[in-house]
Amino acid sequence: MSFLALNNIQKSFGPVQVVQNFNMNIEKGEFISFLGPSGCGKTTVLRMIAGFETPTGGTLYINGKDQRPLKPNQRNIGMVFQAYALFPNMTVYDNVAFGMKVAGAPKAETDSRVKEMLGLIKLDHLADRYPYQMSGGQQQRVALARALAVKPQVLLLDEPLSALDAKIRVSLREEIRAIQRQLGITTVFVTHDQEEALSISDRIVVMNAGKADQIGTPFEIYNTPATRFVASFVGTLNLIEAEVIDPASNCIRIGDQDITLKQSLASYNGGDKVSLALRPEAGSLSEGIKSDTALTGQVVSAHFLGSVIRTRMDVGGNVISFDMFNSPGVTPPVAGETVTLRFMAADLLVIRD
Amino acid sequence: MKGSRIGAWIAVIVGASYFIIPLLGTLEFSLRMRRGVYSIDAYASVFTDPQFRATFGYSMLMALLTIVFGMLLVVPTAYWVRLRVPRMRPIVEFITLLPLVIPAIVIVFGYLRMYNSSSVLPLTGNAMGTNILLVFSYITLSLPYVYRAVDTAMRAIDVRVLTEAAESLGASWTTIMFKCIFPNVMSGVLSGAFITLAIVMGEFTMAALLNRPAFGPYLQLVGANKAYEPSALAVIAFTITWLSMGLLNLISGARRGAPAR
Repeated sequence: MSFLALNNIQKSFGPVQVVQNFNMNIEKGEFISFLGPSGCGKTTVLRMIAGFETPTGGTLYINGKDQRPLKPNQRNIGMVFQAYALFPNMTVYDNVAFGMKVAGAPKAETDSRVKEMLGLIKLDHLADRYPYQMSGGQQQRVALARALAVKPQVLLLDEPLSALDAKIRVSLREEIRAIQRQLGITTVFVTHDQEEALSISDRIVVMNAGKADQIGTPFEIYNTPATRFVASFVGTLNLIEAEVIDPASNCIRIGDQDITLKQSLASYNGGDKVSLALRPEAGSLSEGIKSDTALTGQVVSAHFLGSVIRTRMDVGGNVISFDMFNSPGVTPPVAGETVTLRFMAADLLVIRD
Repeated sequence: MKGSRIGAWIAVIVGASYFIIPLLGTLEFSLRMRRGVYSIDAYASVFTDPQFRATFGYSMLMALLTIVFGMLLVVPTAYWVRLRVPRMRPIVEFITLLPLVIPAIVIVFGYLRMYNSSSVLPLTGNAMGTNILLVFSYITLSLPYVYRAVDTAMRAIDVRVLTEAAESLGASWTTIMFKCIFPNVMSGVLSGAFITLAIVMGEFTMAALLNRPAFGPYLQLVGANKAYEPSALAVIAFTITWLSMGLLNLISGARRGAPAR
């Protein structure tokens, strides 16, 4: 059995089922991100692991032990909240020491552990400060130290970076990942920010309407999205509607242009509609690019974004975006111009609804 | 601009005069016990009266007990309502407002019927039982103010998240309540406490009809039988109230600059 095993977890609030048959096996020391839009059930799953919500159905094991009969204060789980949740009446030192004091740890052990944790987050010089005297980033680091001080078997992070500004978010997420690696602690991270999830996770669970649409490494999630939802939520993927022409030869038609896919269409019939996904960075107007297929269409717009030029072109009613790297020699296409987008057929993926 | 400033000053002066002139009159009258000269004879008379000391001490003790037991009732209730049954909040608020619309005399007659010496719980049968009943009645009277003060303080902190953070760190319910919640709603607890003190020190109906030696009935007794002492007592009562308010402002002002400890 995996270190953290969630089997057929369900949760309903009245008639509304917010988590449906959620399955997930997490190995010890893994960093897993739950990624999805607001209301997809990711925080509810996290709260069920923490014990703040009771599953309506399914089982939940940590290190082989059934967690369902245990109250939140019996689970030995560290949790970091979006709103920091530091105790305003306590100093940084007292906040970090809280869990150990509650557990009745000897004073010397508590003192040494608190100092170790404050050293880990590099805030040992602020031990006497109160939360209101610190920035959001500092408060969240203290919250992390507090959660880790009790040596939890699992660390849960509930959108811990959402309340911080962009620069702090990037540095803190790297810091969280470094600390997680250093301590080897099993971590579940909830976020709606795909960049965050892609950058720090061992695996990502993309959640949609209470279900896990896809579980995979960041590379798999980004490059081979399993569903239309994953494709649209992760990255800026082009979704192209096409018609199956010949399943045997994997031939499809986009507008009036035929393309042969690398992916098998054996489960389709001629005339079936399929959704295809193509990453904006997969195509290029340049003839020099390595490509084995192309689509021709009219430029709808071209936007200069600094390092790249994002161009939108119309192919048989499908608007496809693609990025060109900016350089002094590049001339951006103009609206109405007919262009040919070249790419590898293997980059054009058939996705489920 | 200048005209509106003058208007504002006139409003302030008129308003202040409305409150200050009667007080000055009372103070001045309380100092005229000795014919022809100002003296503090009325105050000396009040302070040397053993009944003043007895009733004042009794009411202070009752106020202290009311504050302690009232807070033990109100803080967990407000906390529980916010955390577990937020939908019950309007109902609980309505219940806490009832003492404002039900006259004290109705409540005390209810007590006398419910807890008389021939009832199942004969609290009025002895002094200790009646004292307990009096504390309960004071808690009831102060409930509308104390509940609001505590509830407002709770609104300022995220009770749910603090509770969950403490729970995830292994804290029990009592640890959460006394280490994480109480210290962070201390401003509400203190303002509720001072309001309770003011109410208890001046309350007459409950104490008189339960026949307890409280400060309220003493004030009434002195007022009915003496001339200058009631004015001195009024000034003393105002001073106590102002000191309470000043203390409250001092503490809440200090708390704005530093967190609860």
